[in-house]
Amino acid sequence: MDTLDKAVDADINAAKSPAHAAQVAELFREHNRALIAFLQCRLNSLSDAQELAQEAYVRMLTLEHPERLDSLRAYLFRIAANLAVDRLRMRKVRNDKMRNDMVTEPPQEDLHLAPVPERLASTVEQWRHLRNALRELPAKTSQAFVMHVIEGRDFSVIAQAMKLSERMVRYHVTNALAHCRARVNEPEMP
Amino acid sequence: MDKRMDEKTLHAAADWWTRLRDPSEAARTVEHWLEWIGADDRHLEAFEQVTELGDRLGSLDDLTRQQFMREFARPVAVPPAASPRRWLPLAAAAAAVLVLVGSYVGWSRSGAQAVPQVYSSAIAQNRSVTLPDGSTVALGGASTLTTRFSHGERRVELGGGEAFFQVKHDAQRPFIVNAGTLFIRDVGTAFDVRRTGQRVSIAVTQGRVQIANNAGVVGSTDTGSLEAGAGELVSYDPATSAMSIGKITPEQATAWRSDRLEFIDEPLGVVIANVNRYSARPIHIADADLKALTFTGNIKTGAIDSWLSALPQVFPLRVSEDTSQVTLSDAEPGQKPPSPAKQ
Repeated sequence: MDTLDKAVDADINAAKSPAHAAQVAELFREHNRALIAFLQCRLNSLSDAQELAQEAYVRMLTLEHPERLDSLRAYLFRIAANLAVDRLRMRKVRNDKMRNDMVTEPPQEDLHLAPVPERLASTVEQWRHLRNALRELPAKTSQAFVMHVIEGRDFSVIAQAMKLSERMVRYHVTNALAHCRARVNEPEMP
Repeated sequence: MDKRMDEKTLHAAADWWTRLRDPSEAARTVEHWLEWIGADDRHLEAFEQVTELGDRLGSLDDLTRQQFMREFARPVAVPPAASPRRWLPLAAAAAAVLVLVGSYVGWSRSGAQAVPQVYSSAIAQNRSVTLPDGSTVALGGASTLTTRFSHGERRVELGGGEAFFQVKHDAQRPFIVNAGTLFIRDVGTAFDVRRTGQRVSIAVTQGRVQIANNAGVVGSTDTGSLEAGAGELVSYDPATSAMSIGKITPEQATAWRSDRLEFIDEPLGVVIANVNRYSARPIHIADADLKALTFTGNIKTGAIDSWLSALPQVFPLRVSEDTSQVTLSDAEPGQKPPSPAKQ
């Protein structure tokens, strides 16, 4: 958050008017947490979320006619949403390129990058809890959840694979996510 | 932060999370979400908690991810006889990393000689594979490949879909691709094979291949065999059992690897079958006469919907869609020429 503050400070000179800069600073104070959470939800990465939030503020500061906007907050989130779409697209291109470049490297290489034993043990332990939580759920609920959250598949693709409507897929994912988070929050039982 | 959060709030937070995940979600949703956030301090905290979990689970190491997929992402109830659509969940389960489904089958077969390995990709997913001999394969969307390598030969079967092969040549150990009734043997080569049912097209981008039909004896001089070189496109039509040779550039042959499907004078039925390998919603052709229409052009796999919406301008058809599928049918009956049988 410090870096965000600095970024906003650094670009304050780029703002069209001091009044507008003050408004953006206000937006930052009030909504930065929500903005980061929103971007993290879209991007699955806190560092990417922070980076794009920063970019969004800079764009707010350099806005040509801020007075013409109905709501600065709505505009901030719209910029952020657009940046997130661009970032996801860029990631897809990069992943595809990586897959194409992978031809020089055997795919088994990934296994060598697996965590060292002690780290693996703690990882296994860490996820045991979650695995148990998923086992408590109906099969379709855990399946939709794993396909979306862990495998990263779009709702539409899962809907087709599971022969469900997209709404039902979301319903399952929501239920599983809430359930798993509640279990993760539980204190460890000896 | 790790204070107990009540289930109702967590559930509401998870609901917002799934709604906001969708990039097409309207700006109104964000506004409503911000209102919800503003209503109670614990709301944002709950949302941050589910987001943090989603983030952590979305960036698991390969090993852990595969473990979760193996246990939970299997099809709920899939009959053993796999119809073309049925294998989807399985392919999805195997998709993030190419999972070798076939290895255990191998034991019961011809000993250690030729253990089959199955590589598959999910809809809209292109994958790269390096085979044990150093040859590489780029696998198109919804495609399946089975390899059987032995000391004497390297056999690869394309079950369906499309694959681009860059073969490490080894005169002692021919590389033979089987697609439908065709057998393609490399002579030091890169080539693309696309299989749509029993229809097969082979585009050679480098070197030469020998193509034999049905015989299985590649290189024999029977009438069903021919040789094709770089820049040539061999199309096999099961209806006539004929192979025809055309021209193709390497860029055209592998356009799909850059998310672009290229078709040159192909029946719409074949085009749609291949587009379906990249489409989130299956596309059906309701009226059989449409399948014979000839299509030439490019389709961006990321913009299938806009291609579909433009189709009625090119062909006498209409496109109807709902959330789960798209149907192509004859244009409105009123627009069809009157049947000569009725006066």
